[in-house]
Amino acid sequence: MTGVIDQIGGMLAQAGYPAPMSVLTLSHYLFVSAAMFTLGMVGFLTRRNLIIMFLCTEMMFQAAGIALIAASRFWLNHTGQSFVIFVLTVAAAEAAMALALVVLLFRKRESLSAEEWAEMKG
Amino acid sequence: MIERIAWLWPEIILFLATCVVMVLGVSPRLALRRQCAFVSGLALFLAAMVAIATGPMATSPWPQMVPFMKGTAGFVGLLTLLVLAGTVDREVDRDQELGRGFAALRANRAEFYAFFLFSMTGLMLCASADDLIWLFLALELTSLPTYVMVTISTRRSRSQEAGVKYFFLGALGAAIFLYGFSLLYMGTGSTDLGAISTQILAQAEGGAINDIAMAGLVLSLIGVSFKIAAVPMHFYTADVYQGAAASVSAMLAFVPKAAGFIAILLLVSTVGWQWGVADTAGVSLGAGHSLPEPVRLLLWVMAVFTMTVGNVLALLQRSIKRILAYSSIAHSGYMLVGVIAGPQGARFIDNGVAATLFYLLSYGLMNVGAFAVVASMEHKGEEADDLDALRGLCRTRPWLGWTMVICALSLLGFPFTLGFFAKVPLFTSGIAAGEYALVVILGINSAIAAFYYLRLAALPMLEEPVGEAPALTRVPARIVAGVLSAGAALGMVLVAGFFMERAARAAVPGLFDGTHASQSATDQIARSGERRADE
Repeated sequence: MTGVIDQIGGMLAQAGYPAPMSVLTLSHYLFVSAAMFTLGMVGFLTRRNLIIMFLCTEMMFQAAGIALIAASRFWLNHTGQSFVIFVLTVAAAEAAMALALVVLLFRKRESLSAEEWAEMKG
Repeated sequence: MIERIAWLWPEIILFLATCVVMVLGVSPRLALRRQCAFVSGLALFLAAMVAIATGPMATSPWPQMVPFMKGTAGFVGLLTLLVLAGTVDREVDRDQELGRGFAALRANRAEFYAFFLFSMTGLMLCASADDLIWLFLALELTSLPTYVMVTISTRRSRSQEAGVKYFFLGALGAAIFLYGFSLLYMGTGSTDLGAISTQILAQAEGGAINDIAMAGLVLSLIGVSFKIAAVPMHFYTADVYQGAAASVSAMLAFVPKAAGFIAILLLVSTVGWQWGVADTAGVSLGAGHSLPEPVRLLLWVMAVFTMTVGNVLALLQRSIKRILAYSSIAHSGYMLVGVIAGPQGARFIDNGVAATLFYLLSYGLMNVGAFAVVASMEHKGEEADDLDALRGLCRTRPWLGWTMVICALSLLGFPFTLGFFAKVPLFTSGIAAGEYALVVILGINSAIAAFYYLRLAALPMLEEPVGEAPALTRVPARIVAGVLSAGAALGMVLVAGFFMERAARAAVPGLFDGTHASQSATDQIARSGERRADE
């Protein structure tokens, strides 16, 4: 396992001062965020409950957030961190719309399953 | 940072107009509430004129594309607004006449226009983006309002189903390209497109492009393909276009697609069309005229599947809106050919990016007409969406009938219509770039498309009308929009040279002009621009 992580870590050189990330390297964060992104994707494609599907996309958003913050620390600039603030804002806006749509759906069909919504085919 | 404001006046105008529309919409006086559409139209016109007057944006990777795409967005947006106007208002008015009660979800006429203006603001912001953060926010601003517009466009549960599907798949697409952006940042250390480009070139000269950056670029392109309805993310299109009101579908076929293509051009410009076929060492910079192999392969596969899937599935449909939806998928595939070919030369017909931009403009103009015809007809209180509604339309409703004939022929690329002059440059630029297989597939697909477009054209023109003429909706502006669109499909041919030249100038990249292949083209066009300025 550590072998693989060292290999990924070798792809990028660490920028200079202040002190480099030592114990946890960029590759650890990349690994966590990639795992979150994949889990979110798999969840979105396999689950049929609309709220869970939405939470899966949220998880993918936050995976990107982790990658951005780790990269921001790695490159020693603040761009990634400011990006994350915007990502959170957009995620909040999407959450508001998702909940509105879910409430609308529940009023119509008394169910949260995505399969209730298959009027159009072909 | 602050100097960019000078280029952002179109967006600022649109945003202020959005605020005005929102306030007007809650006015107690009906006459004032009815002005929302006019304010929106005026703002779009102003924004387009200001954008054209402002000129190229120096910080953008495509400096000349900024005014071209903002102008295109403004004028096609105006045409779309003619179709959109009244989508919600008329139903509210009819409810009041029939004495139905107040429905919170339905009483939102101002929000409808405000969301449309927000979406147009997002599209214009996309055109002026020079940073990944900016691009992400602009793409989201384009998409988020359209989810609401789809959902509230009609009263039927189909629209709500369409809204749910569109929103959830849109969120998935957004998450994918956001993750791509974050990897691109991780691999290059910057979100500024110019800095990313410099960093990628430095990496390539030192060996190979960083794998993380390349993975980020590929993921971003896959995510953005949702916006243009290209193949890995196309499956929502037909359902959403069918479920939404035809007027909203007309908008969906242009606004997110234009934003998506701008985003693709911006992302791809960070690597540039300056790579040859990779040799064993993996270093091929400056050796050729194509995109780096992983990106080229991705776009190639995307283009082929998008064209083929769109056209073949369109053959099987009976609903006009579904046919137009699948054909809009196919048109995205055509335009990707231009992106793959890239800006090869100074001449318009060799320049794939110019072909894509000109096709986007033409597609926006002629597609509105086809949707306007569907939006204008009513059958038992619902949109007349079945192919039978078109039978003999040229005799019963000549304006609508001939609009459909002209728009369908133009979308097909019938000689001497706008669509023909838009499609030929895609072929020639593909040949200039040496993408022969892709050009052959494009040709075969154009032939498949003839089956369903000729049906759309022949039903109104050649068949006898069945029963009585379809009723018209209470929005006459839609017929005007349709006739204008058909007029553009024929009349634009006369002035096509002017727009082609603008497109060719818009397609000059500002980023990767060092010692590489595109230099000569850039110089030539810059020189011709200077000559023109001197005159």
